[in-house]
Amino acid sequence: MDFSLPEEYVELKKMVRRFTENEIMPLENKVIEREASRGFKDDPVLLPEEEAVLKQKTKDLGLWGIEVPEEFGGQGLGALAKIVVLEELKRSIVPFTLPPDAPNLNFLQECCNKEQYEKYLLPYAKGDISSCLAMTEPNAGSDAAAIQTKAEFKNGKWVINGTKMFISFAPKVDFFIVTTVTDREKGKKGGFTAFLLDKGTPGLRVAKNVNTIGEMLAYEIVLEDVTVGPEQVLGEVGNAFIPLQNRFGVRRLEIAAWCCGFSDRLIKMMIDQANIRKTFGKPLADRQSVQWWIADSTMELHACRLMLYHAAWKVDQGIKDVRMEAAMLKVYATEMLTKIADRAIQVHGGYGLSKEMPIEFIYRLARITRIIEGPSEIHRWVIAREGLKNEKPYNTFGINF
Amino acid sequence: MKIAVLMKQTFDTETKISLDAKGQIDSTGVNYVVNPYCEFAVEEALRIKERLGAGEVVVLSIGSEQVESALRTCLAMGADRGVLVNDPALEGGDEYTTAQVLAKALQKEDYDIILAGFQAVDDGSGQVGPRIAELLNIPQVTIVTKLELADGKAVATREIDDGVELIEVPLPALFTAQQGLAEPRYPSMKGIMQSKKKPIDRLTLADLGVSAEGVGANGAKVSIAALSLPAPRQAGKIVGGEPAEAAVELVKLLRTEAKII
Repeated sequence: MDFSLPEEYVELKKMVRRFTENEIMPLENKVIEREASRGFKDDPVLLPEEEAVLKQKTKDLGLWGIEVPEEFGGQGLGALAKIVVLEELKRSIVPFTLPPDAPNLNFLQECCNKEQYEKYLLPYAKGDISSCLAMTEPNAGSDAAAIQTKAEFKNGKWVINGTKMFISFAPKVDFFIVTTVTDREKGKKGGFTAFLLDKGTPGLRVAKNVNTIGEMLAYEIVLEDVTVGPEQVLGEVGNAFIPLQNRFGVRRLEIAAWCCGFSDRLIKMMIDQANIRKTFGKPLADRQSVQWWIADSTMELHACRLMLYHAAWKVDQGIKDVRMEAAMLKVYATEMLTKIADRAIQVHGGYGLSKEMPIEFIYRLARITRIIEGPSEIHRWVIAREGLKNEKPYNTFGINF
Repeated sequence: MKIAVLMKQTFDTETKISLDAKGQIDSTGVNYVVNPYCEFAVEEALRIKERLGAGEVVVLSIGSEQVESALRTCLAMGADRGVLVNDPALEGGDEYTTAQVLAKALQKEDYDIILAGFQAVDDGSGQVGPRIAELLNIPQVTIVTKLELADGKAVATREIDDGVELIEVPLPALFTAQQGLAEPRYPSMKGIMQSKKKPIDRLTLADLGVSAEGVGANGAKVSIAALSLPAPRQAGKIVGGEPAEAAVELVKLLRTEAKII
């Protein structure tokens, strides 16, 4: 058993740490200010020109498509490399992501036919075009099988009608992956179909923005008699469910990486504050409560990082099904960040609450992570179900007793 | 164009220095980096090579195997290969012995340009570069902020009090880098992945034909008598009251208490 991180990944981490501190963190005050003054509007907190600069610089450094297979123009370095990079990038609150926005890649990779490969997958993998997944609906979130958006096959064309809710990036993307019901009877077993819809397809419109706690922007999308040919079906008709689940697994590891990045930063801030700040003639570092907050946070981050690196390693071994690891991570990492952000505010007192520091921003963001990509309760259910079904605790190393 | 860069691995500039029970600098848990001034030198070397479209950048260092990580960082930035002089007899050396040994290592190949940081952030002595230029009997320009090359010559801009000085020297020559010479790049993903495959030559004193008598603690001209940490900063004093009166009081304190005017 070798727990050492490959030397080049250590170098990679150091490089991204430096890049994040020098190029991204200086934008944080602006991001906080814009987010605070945005109100109900959907003005970007990172300006397009700022984003363009970061995109160019990260592209020149070769940070795009880390996990994208080489045949699609990526680096083929796998999940662990992506995770260590994300962990560093997400020490900053600036909402900058590396193209391509990866999770859809797995979905596309699994389902694209030859034409779609050329039109969508290749340019997407290179970061030339972007996408979003439109699945959630006003009355269907975790219960994805409850979606109402319908696709009917009429005269050789698919006609799609429905409403999608809480869809990120909607006005910015070049194409949407939209999930629909094509056979209500069959349900999960053959009744759901995914479509590739280009931006500007008649009948497809972004209805409104839905501002949430934290910086996250979501949108409502309306589909009215959107009519497309069979070439827009992604994967097999009726079988969108399984590849979708695999897509979520990857996303959950990424969210855990964000949580580790933010937590690492917060612990560092707590340590600095504890060493510097004096109350009643003693540094905070001498107070047991503060020590315990730092100790508990350190232990939790250590456990989470081991879980995360292990799950990524598993993916890199070609093990596709990491649903259990992903579920455990999603719960553990997001709840960890919630606790650590809370403690960090407590250590910093009034400054922790203020917009002079990024802590309250992370605190609000942490709340989002426990809802998106499946709330904690769904993942706990998945974890428990596995044990209850097999009548034994889960063993990540596949040892059967 | 063959360019040598002399590189020293130093403590991370954010390291909190402390002394151990024996009064020596405690290196436990310390993060090591490429000396920032040497990083400017590496960057300048890479830019020269890129401008010319040809050439080789070789990074040389002296020290234990621990220095490999700093050499790898330089290779990840784009340097072609590394040379590490590592010999137990080098322990306890000073600027004089370091210069002797590195000069020998440099003599093994023909370099057109030798670049180095103008000082290391740890001991800040700024001697090794100039000493080597003397030993190799080549021209040197120190504290360089700009370097232009043409027709086998170089024009170096160096900082002096109240201005800059332009010095023209024939190559080969040695230059030491000051901040401003070239902002170091981030090593790219590709560079990092390739750095592991780039060669690092290990040289011992025997390889250089240097006797252990004259180097390390044996040959050092300087010995460190004692180390001490700077006295902790005293709390500041705020002079209150009306601005006009406060100014008078402040000037008085600067004269009588602080004794700086």
